[in-house]
Amino acid sequence: MNQFSQLPPQMSTFAPDVDWMYLFLFWLSVASFVAIVAVMVYFVFKYRRRPGVEAVPTGHGNTALELAWTFLPLIVLAFLFHEGFRVYVQESVPPENTVDIHVTGKQWSWEFTHSNGITETNEAKIPVHTPVRLIMSSSDVLHSFFVPDFRIKRDVVPGMYTTLWFEATALSTPERPVRVFCAEYCGALQGSTNGNDRNTNHSTMMADLHIIPQEEYATFLREGGGPPAECADAVDVNVCWGQYIYAHNGCSACHEINGEAGGHGPNWMGVFGEEIALEGGGSVTADDAYIKRSILDPSADVVSGFGNIMPPYRLRDQEIDAVIAFMRSLNAQ
Amino acid sequence: MTVEAEAEAAIPADPHHIPEGADYITHEHGLKSWLTTVDHKRIGVMYLISILLAFFAGGVFALILRTELLTPGKTIMEADTYNEMFTLHGAIMVFLFIIPSIPAALGNFFLPIMIGAKDVAFPKLNLASLYIYWIGAIFTLIAIVAGHIDTGWTFYTPYSMRGDNSAVWMTIGVFILGFSSILTGLNFIATVHKMRSPGMHWRRLPLFIWGIYATAVIQVLATPVLAITLLLLATEKIVGIGIFDPALGGDPVLFQHFFWFYSHPAVYIMILPGMAIVSEVIACFSRRKVFGYMFIAMSSVALALLGFLVWGHHMFVSGQSEYATMVFSALTFLVAIPSGVKIFNWLATLYQGSISLESPMLYSLAFIALFTIGGLTGLFLGTLSTDIHLHDTYFVVAHFHYVMVGGTVFGFLSGLHYWWPKITGRLYDERWARVAFVLVFIGFNVTFFSQFILGSRGMPRRYYSYLDQFQPLHMTSSGGAYIIGVGFVVMAIMFAKSLKSGAKAGRNPWGSAGYEWPHPHNFAEQPVFTRGPYDYHLATERELFTGTDEEWDAHMAKKGEA
Repeated sequence: MNQFSQLPPQMSTFAPDVDWMYLFLFWLSVASFVAIVAVMVYFVFKYRRRPGVEAVPTGHGNTALELAWTFLPLIVLAFLFHEGFRVYVQESVPPENTVDIHVTGKQWSWEFTHSNGITETNEAKIPVHTPVRLIMSSSDVLHSFFVPDFRIKRDVVPGMYTTLWFEATALSTPERPVRVFCAEYCGALQGSTNGNDRNTNHSTMMADLHIIPQEEYATFLREGGGPPAECADAVDVNVCWGQYIYAHNGCSACHEINGEAGGHGPNWMGVFGEEIALEGGGSVTADDAYIKRSILDPSADVVSGFGNIMPPYRLRDQEIDAVIAFMRSLNAQ
Repeated sequence: MTVEAEAEAAIPADPHHIPEGADYITHEHGLKSWLTTVDHKRIGVMYLISILLAFFAGGVFALILRTELLTPGKTIMEADTYNEMFTLHGAIMVFLFIIPSIPAALGNFFLPIMIGAKDVAFPKLNLASLYIYWIGAIFTLIAIVAGHIDTGWTFYTPYSMRGDNSAVWMTIGVFILGFSSILTGLNFIATVHKMRSPGMHWRRLPLFIWGIYATAVIQVLATPVLAITLLLLATEKIVGIGIFDPALGGDPVLFQHFFWFYSHPAVYIMILPGMAIVSEVIACFSRRKVFGYMFIAMSSVALALLGFLVWGHHMFVSGQSEYATMVFSALTFLVAIPSGVKIFNWLATLYQGSISLESPMLYSLAFIALFTIGGLTGLFLGTLSTDIHLHDTYFVVAHFHYVMVGGTVFGFLSGLHYWWPKITGRLYDERWARVAFVLVFIGFNVTFFSQFILGSRGMPRRYYSYLDQFQPLHMTSSGGAYIIGVGFVVMAIMFAKSLKSGAKAGRNPWGSAGYEWPHPHNFAEQPVFTRGPYDYHLATERELFTGTDEEWDAHMAKKGEA
């Protein structure tokens, strides 16, 4: 990003229109401000108090002048309203034949469900040069889906659907994905000791949009998502994929994998296959079935000593298998 | 005993009568005499002390927040503590400081004097307002601190309604504060309508009174909506009726409509009194009647009315209908008209004036510049396409701080410096007042101008942590906040020194033609006004004399010799 630029990179078809308006307003403001302050400074200097010089009584004012500065600005204001509304209408009315993606906001993560039923958490594949419509809802409190690079924002509200649409104009790189922020305050994980961790509070409720070629997205829709590209050469693809999910889906915010105490959730090292005590009495063997249930419905059996704070995660069967494979691999270390 | 003396003795003692040589501060002593007073001046002073304490507390929280934001991630506190801190900063500044600041403190002191009344229409109700304010303030603070409330001052549902009932306690506190505001407003409306002295017709009403009057109308009309909203919240939480919570069948966006239906007019409760002070100060330090007097007065009334029609501009991205958004955007632009009218008229007042730049005037001129920036950046937020990008970012934070601090607080400081000699009977050290002004002015701009850039670049508000690329601007902003802090410390010392050892002020140290100056306290008898409050060419030499009474006698004696 240009260090002196006031605005983020332009990554959607809306961005040039919005930025034109922003810069128009910016220079209009600079001109108005300079004019007002210049007049003020000039009068203060010219009519500074001097001995023997009295102020001229105001008299009855000047009605023509008053009417002029009351009504002339209306012309400029009407123009501003019109231009802002014109772009807003475009932003509000998606074209036909959009690619639809369902978005669910929840404290403090974003879920993206594509038309093939695959859900990605805190990241999403987006086809370039394609109108994409987001159909959004929240499963807990208010959030707001904000993509500065696209110049779009819309609140994500529990109990209703809101929509957004955009068309990305350039591919993103893995180093600099298009970042989604939450713009409506939604709290923080109580007792968290590192607020900088991804997806533990309002300020880190982020997601990465990966803008990919249209053909690549079509292939993804047709064939489904497999392990990420960096796992292609791994010794055990499933373990690598599980570790990727651990790092990218927010698991690492609460679950440590070092075998030491601490963290908001149970440490994953040495857990698999063990008999573990449950909150409220009883115990269970941490086998495949238990792990799967704990991901899809975390409040069913909470491990003793931990709070019932984990939201459900909508992972597919292959992804859950990968996570289990990763947990097993931690036992072997 | 003569007949006259007997007749005099039969009349009950006037509670407002202040014996010769004493003043409203010294004629009675002891805490009890203050806590049971019905004198609007003493009540105003007690409000002044209360809101200054609130301002101090809110300012300390602001400095803590800015310190935390020096680095991404943890600097001095955890995320949940940070969220409680910004809630405290916002709630204290809005409900305990800025809403009551000018009307309840300075308004109480000067409104009766400036219209030639002995007191407000309902002096006991006035004292009750103060007690209700204290009770509401204590209630709110205990609820926020004990309940670890972290919702921000807007307490949006459903976030605010999760967990235990502590949010309900806070809303009850704000509910109580609202009643203080309503009763003060009622009192002022009745006073302005019924207690003006002969000659004080509406076209002579000082512009400060016009502003306070327009404010009082909003307080009376808008605050009950807040009370209703908070009651509905409490009902939902306690009885479980679904109003705002979607889990119970309610609508969270409805809460935002209710909340902003009060809180947008409340923005005008905050800014109109600041504008009102600027009109007084500009006239006094230009020695000239305000240009377009009736246009300034009516623009206050227009702002008060328009303020009720634009609440939806806080909700352009909330999911409200596109049609509502369109209408609210169009109406929002109309607000720019009366705001512009004021600025143009103030500038025209300077023309052909006799301008001096003492500290009250410096604050008022700074108000014009800063409010202009606040207003112009409002255009970015009223324009739909740019608002979608800027909404809920630091741009909005900077915009409302330019209006609320650059506007209202600078207006308040202008009034405090202007009327300080009248309130305390003492002068302050003008040099140190100017040093404090320069520090606060520079610090303010450094703090908040950098936040405009942060917001344009996409930094959302209420963020505990942020991307590394935003750190230089955040550090700049925090640095500015420390400069403001130093400025206020200098100002506090300057005022404390004035109280302790300041020179005795004359009746009218600025040489103002305003009605509040020429008499030591209230008018001794009901006055008959024969000229306007800004008619410098009609005021007598005695009225405009800036020295003490002794100096006036010496001045006259010297004249007699010559």
